Amino acid sequence: MTYLDWAATSPPDSHILAEAAKIAADSFGNPSSKHKLGREAKSVLEDARGRLEAVLCARSPVKKGRLVFTGGGSESDAIPLLAVLRQAMNARRDGSIKRLHIVTTEIEHAAVYEEAHLLKALGLDVSFVEPESDGRVDPQKIAAAVEKDTALVAVMAVNNETGAIQSIAEIAKAVAKAAAAFGRKGPRFHVDAVQALGKIPFDPEEAGVSSAAFSAHKIRGPRGMGALWVADASPIESLALGGGQEASLRPGTENIQGAWAFAAAAQAASTSFETRIAHARELEARLMEGIASIPGALALPAGRVAKDPRYSPFILSIAFPGLSGEVLVRALSDAGVAVSTGSACSSNSKKAGRRVIEAMGVDSPLALSAIRVSTGDFSTCEDIDLFLEAASGAYRRLKT
Amino acid sequence: MDAFYLIKIGEILLKLGNRKEFENRLRSQLNERFRKAGITHKIEMYPGRYFVTVPEENAAEAQFILSRTPGVNGYARAKKTEKTVDAVLAAAIEVARERLSRGLVRFKAESRRSDKSFPLGSFELSAKIGEVVLDAFPEAKVDLHTPEFTINAEIRERAYVFADAEPGMRGLPVGSGGKGLLLLSGGIDSPVAGYMMARRGMALDALYFHAYPYTSQEAQDKVIRLARVLSTYAGNLALWTVPFTETQQKIKKDAREDLTTLMMRMGMMRVAHLLVPRIGANCIITGESVGQVASQTAENLRLTESLTDYPVLRPLCGMDKEDTVNMAKKIGTFDISILPYEDCCVLFSPKHPMLKAKLERETEVYKSLNLEPLLVEALDKAERLEIK
Repeated sequence: MTYLDWAATSPPDSHILAEAAKIAADSFGNPSSKHKLGREAKSVLEDARGRLEAVLCARSPVKKGRLVFTGGGSESDAIPLLAVLRQAMNARRDGSIKRLHIVTTEIEHAAVYEEAHLLKALGLDVSFVEPESDGRVDPQKIAAAVEKDTALVAVMAVNNETGAIQSIAEIAKAVAKAAAAFGRKGPRFHVDAVQALGKIPFDPEEAGVSSAAFSAHKIRGPRGMGALWVADASPIESLALGGGQEASLRPGTENIQGAWAFAAAAQAASTSFETRIAHARELEARLMEGIASIPGALALPAGRVAKDPRYSPFILSIAFPGLSGEVLVRALSDAGVAVSTGSACSSNSKKAGRRVIEAMGVDSPLALSAIRVSTGDFSTCEDIDLFLEAASGAYRRLKT
Repeated sequence: MDAFYLIKIGEILLKLGNRKEFENRLRSQLNERFRKAGITHKIEMYPGRYFVTVPEENAAEAQFILSRTPGVNGYARAKKTEKTVDAVLAAAIEVARERLSRGLVRFKAESRRSDKSFPLGSFELSAKIGEVVLDAFPEAKVDLHTPEFTINAEIRERAYVFADAEPGMRGLPVGSGGKGLLLLSGGIDSPVAGYMMARRGMALDALYFHAYPYTSQEAQDKVIRLARVLSTYAGNLALWTVPFTETQQKIKKDAREDLTTLMMRMGMMRVAHLLVPRIGANCIITGESVGQVASQTAENLRLTESLTDYPVLRPLCGMDKEDTVNMAKKIGTFDISILPYEDCCVLFSPKHPMLKAKLERETEVYKSLNLEPLLVEALDKAERLEIK
C-alpha cells in the first residue's frame, strides 16, 4: 500500500515501540509511590518530560512553561477549552454561569470546533472567525473578535486539511493588544499544534501563547499519547479531577512508557529537521506539478503554489471536480494508494459537507470533490508518481 | 426443567379449506427457526392451540423467535398439568406468584373447559382460582374490569394455566403467500416493506444494486445488516447484490439529466423482472410510496412497472412517512437505515427529476439507451448471499 495519509496517523517507529514495551515492564511502579520502584518510574517520566520539552520549546533558551502528558491531541485541546467552563462557574457564587466569551475559527479540528459548540450550547458566547480564501486566518480579524469578557482564543497552528500555516505569534500579539484596549491582560490563547510538531518550526514559548496541544502518533509515536504545554503565567483548572497527577491538569496514573516513547519520537522528528522539510518540499512540488497535468484537477486553495511558505509541505488538498472525494478515496484504495478526504477523524460523522474547505469560500460541489494527500518521512517520489497515475486513471474512469 | 409455551394463532383459524396447509407452514417455520438457533424443541399441535417446549436455558431465545414468527398471534409461558382440580389450582398459584413478584396486584381468572368431564364448570373454576390465590397472597386483589393480570385456565386434552399472552407478529406463516423479491436499498422504507409482506406470509429474497466505488463497502454492509434483521421475521432469505456501476455511468452519460433517476429505476425493475423467475418468486416488492420522493408519482410508477408483468407490491404506498419511521423503529431497522452511507440513488440524483413521465415517450428514451445487455451482464455477475 502506498501510504499518503500521514496527517491521519503515521506508521509507528517499531524500535521505539519495542523499547517502550520494555520500559512498561521494567519501570512499572506508580510514579506517585514513595518506594524505590515508584521513584524509578517517576524518574523515567520526568526525564521524558524534560526531553520532550527540549524539543517542543527548542527555540526558547529559558523554559518557563509546564508540560503535561495527556491521552492524546484531542484531550490536550479539551482541557483548556473545558477549563473556561470551570472559570465561568467560579466567576459566580450563586451557581450560575458567567457568559464568558471564546474566539476560535471555522477551520479548527473537531477536537476544538465541537468542544466550542458544546460550550456555546452550555451558555457561553463563542465567535467563529472565518479564514481568508487562502485558508489562513487574518490576525486582525481574531483581534477584532476579542471582547471585554473573552476568556480564551483558540487557533490551530497548521490546518489538518489544507496545510495552511497560521500566523500564531502575530495573532498572539494582536490579541494581547486588543485586550489591552479593554484595560485588561489578554485572554488565554490556546493553539492546536498537532500538525505542526515535527513539520514546521513552532515553539509555544517563543510564539507567546498560553497553551498548546501535541500528539505523539502523528510523528511515529504511540497512539493514546498527547502533551499539553501550558505557560506558567496562565494557570488553568481542569474539569477532570483525581489524584493530582500532571499538575492536576490530567489526573490518572501516568503512562510512563507512552511518555518515554513520545519524547523519543519527538527527538527523532527533530533531528535533521531541515533535511526532512526540504524532502517534503520536493515531494510537494512533484505532486503539484503532477496535479497540474491532470485535466480538471486542482490544488486547494487555488492560489497555493509549490514551496509556498504559507503552507505545510506535508499536506495538500486536491479537488477533482465532478467526482466525490469519498468515491476517489475508495478507488485509490483499490489501486493500492491510501489517502483520505478531509480529516480522518470526522469521516465517521453524519454531517455531509466539508466544513474546512467550504469555510475558505470554495463552493460545496468542489469542496466535496477534495481529497487530502499527506506525506511523511518514508514518502518517496515513486509514491507520488503512483498516486498521480492511480488518481488520473480513476478520475478519467469515474468522473461524472 | 423445560419452558413450555402456548401459542395463539389468529388468521389461520379463518382458513377453512386449506387450514392444514397453513398449519404445516407454521410448524415448519418454527422448526426451521428453532433448529437454526440450535434449540432442541418439541412442537405439539391441537386444534386452535399449538405448544412448544424448549429447555429452560433457551427460554429467552425461544420467546424472541415466537415474537418474530408470522402466523403467531401471541404466546404465553404456560403450566401444563393433569386434569384435576388440585393440579390446576396449584399451577394457578404458581402463575400468580410470578406476576405478584413483578408488583402486579389486581387480577382476574378466566377459564375455558372444552372437556366437559372436568368436575368444575368454567365459572366455578374461575371463582375457585380467585379464592385460592387470595388465600395464598394477602396482597392480591380481584379486579374483573381493570386487572393487571389475568390467570387463564384451559381444560382441553390436558389442563393449561397461564397468565397474559405476549403479542406475536400476527399475520400468516411465511411461505403461505408465495415468494417475493424485495428491492432493498439501505433506506428506511424498503426493510419495512419487506417486513409487511413477510407478515402476509410471503417468503423473501432481497435485491440490492451496488454501484462501487460510487457507493461504499459500508453501504453494502449496511444492506447485509438490514437483511439479517429482516430474516429474523421473514426466515431464511438470500440477498442478491447486483453490480450497477456501469449501468449508472451509461445512464449518466447518455440520458438527459432530469431522466436519470427514472432510467435507473427502470433498469432496476428490469433486473428484478429477470431475477424473479430464477428464484421461484412470483412478485416484486418495493418500499415506494406515492409522493415520497419526486420520482414516485403515479405516472412514474406506471413507467417503471411497465418493465415487468409480475405484480409490483408496494405495501407502503398509502402510508405516512412518520408511520413508516415508527414501524422501522419497532422492527429494529431504523438505526441501521440512518447510518450515513449513501445508496446509489442519492449520488446520481438530478436536481430537478422528471415528475410526470409519459409512458410512450420515456419508454423510447429507455430503449434508445440500450441498457439491456448491461443489465443482463450485471445480473450474471450478481452475488448471492445466504442470510441465516
